[in-house]
Amino acid sequence: MKRRTFVGAATALPAVSLLGAGSARAQVKEIRMIESGGKSGESIEVGYIEPFTKKTGIKVIRESPNSLGKLRALVESGQTSTVLMELGSGTLVQAKNLKLIEPIDWAAVNPAAMFPEAKNEYGFGYQYFSTIMAWRAGAKAPKNWAEFFDTKAFPGKRCLPDFPHYSLPFAVMATGVPADKLFPLDVETGFKKLNEIKKDIAVWWKAGAQPPQLMKDNEVQYVICWSGRVVGDPAFGYNFAGGMADLAYFSIVKGSKPEDRAAAYKLMYEMSLPANQAKAATVISYTGPSPELDALLPKDKLSDFPSSKQNKSVQWFQNAEWWAANGEAVNKKWEAFKLGL
Amino acid sequence: MNRASRLEGFGFIAPLLVLMVVAFNAPIVYMLGLAFWEKGRGFTLEHYEGLLEAPVYLRVLGNTMRIALIATIANIIIGYPLAHWMRGLGSRGRMIALALVVLPFWVSILVRTYAWIVVLGNGGIVNRALQWSGLTDAPVSFLYNELGVTIGMANVLLPFLVLPLFAAMIRIDDRLLQAAASLGAPPRTIFWKVYFPLTLPALAAGALLVFILCLGFYVTPAILGGGRVPMISNLLDTLINQIPRWEQASAISTILLIVTLVIFAAYRRLDRKASGT
Repeated sequence: MKRRTFVGAATALPAVSLLGAGSARAQVKEIRMIESGGKSGESIEVGYIEPFTKKTGIKVIRESPNSLGKLRALVESGQTSTVLMELGSGTLVQAKNLKLIEPIDWAAVNPAAMFPEAKNEYGFGYQYFSTIMAWRAGAKAPKNWAEFFDTKAFPGKRCLPDFPHYSLPFAVMATGVPADKLFPLDVETGFKKLNEIKKDIAVWWKAGAQPPQLMKDNEVQYVICWSGRVVGDPAFGYNFAGGMADLAYFSIVKGSKPEDRAAAYKLMYEMSLPANQAKAATVISYTGPSPELDALLPKDKLSDFPSSKQNKSVQWFQNAEWWAANGEAVNKKWEAFKLGL
Repeated sequence: MNRASRLEGFGFIAPLLVLMVVAFNAPIVYMLGLAFWEKGRGFTLEHYEGLLEAPVYLRVLGNTMRIALIATIANIIIGYPLAHWMRGLGSRGRMIALALVVLPFWVSILVRTYAWIVVLGNGGIVNRALQWSGLTDAPVSFLYNELGVTIGMANVLLPFLVLPLFAAMIRIDDRLLQAAASLGAPPRTIFWKVYFPLTLPALAAGALLVFILCLGFYVTPAILGGGRVPMISNLLDTLINQIPRWEQASAISTILLIVTLVIFAAYRRLDRKASGT
């Protein structure tokens, strides 16, 4: 910078600050978010970021993946450039307990109507997703979890999530425990059930893309997986009954700049509009938190979406609080169980 | 070399030294310290006590060592004859063989690992060939178990064993072997009494390198293990990224580091003994 332009800029500064907070916010040119990537990230771009940038001129930089370790590193290193972080229902509670996120100023967001569970003190529930049973087309279709875990009547290799909070509850349900009596979770019963069929579980998946691929390769015939990976594909059968509904949230990273937050709240407002959510749902079959969304979705596709009335009513909700309190202890048991495979 | 020129030499390596200390050593020390120091609480041994109370993490470490050992042995069984065979080739044949050994280095480890799924999967080339030839009725499970992980790791790490071994083998003077033959030693005796001892230090070095690299393997067990082969890197990933309990991860990493250093020290001792005699 030349000296003269520097002096010019310096004299201009007080004038800018006189204009007050409103213009300071207008100066935000871009904000950064960390999200889960893949098609889900594309759906955020198409559904929410595009209208947001059109209205405000602010760009949104997306990064992924969104591990909790990354959030801890961000906060502990004192960086302030990232304002939004996508979290699962369980990681939201963990992040809150670890003091890595801050409460949302819901008055500033001023959202359109939302399902109550999506309006968390610390998170904007922006996307419903389900963990459900699915099978390779042509395999005998199980109707409930007892049948899914019955490897004699429903022969075939299984592929289950390598995460206790996505696998254990279904194993407990397979012993006949109804969804409303699942928590506090009887962990021992769950492990016992998993031990019974462990020879038939060929793969424990870590990445959501694995189960559909393994079914296509005919490595496995039955899976527990995320709904968006299998619905709408004729190669698979699936059943939302007894499935677990869950929400992905956006939270405000601790220590982020106030002007970035103001912009982030405006983006959250865009996320609350049913028309934008319908656009996002054309990219991925996960759905936003508006109760009015069903009316905007194509009628013949309603059976694909986790929060459509017909599917929401047959599922149950993940108990994030219980997992936040017990997750680490269960995880140790999970590692021990895997050593015994 | 006098003192002044030694200092001058230091000037040349100082930038590298600073880079190593700042970008490599300091973070490692910080990482190791995480398990002992907690913000606002000071010194603690809690995370090591945690390891003793729930020995599952140590068992995963033991499992990792076992698999690393199996993969190393597999590597020796494949790599030693390969290097020996390459030694016997003409110069052109050696070049082609070396290129083929090094070639996998140019291919991403992810691609190489996924390639095994195409080859060894239930509907893969090998299983289809086996069933077509009538050797088996049902597909053989090569993948998503320890066998799959061992095959994948042996494949990725083979060059690390073959290259130093081959380098040592081509340095062996043919006249030594001829002398042994002229004194009436049968080929088997020549191999075990002359040839093999001369390759032993390189074999030990290569095997140790492979073993240590095995301990830190992440991609291959994650993909070919199907989540059924718990290894320490994958456990650390869970502790660092998901839980996130960096302190526990630090305690486990410290133990892993110490074990590795002990193995390395034992090797140095062996090596010195071998070169001393």
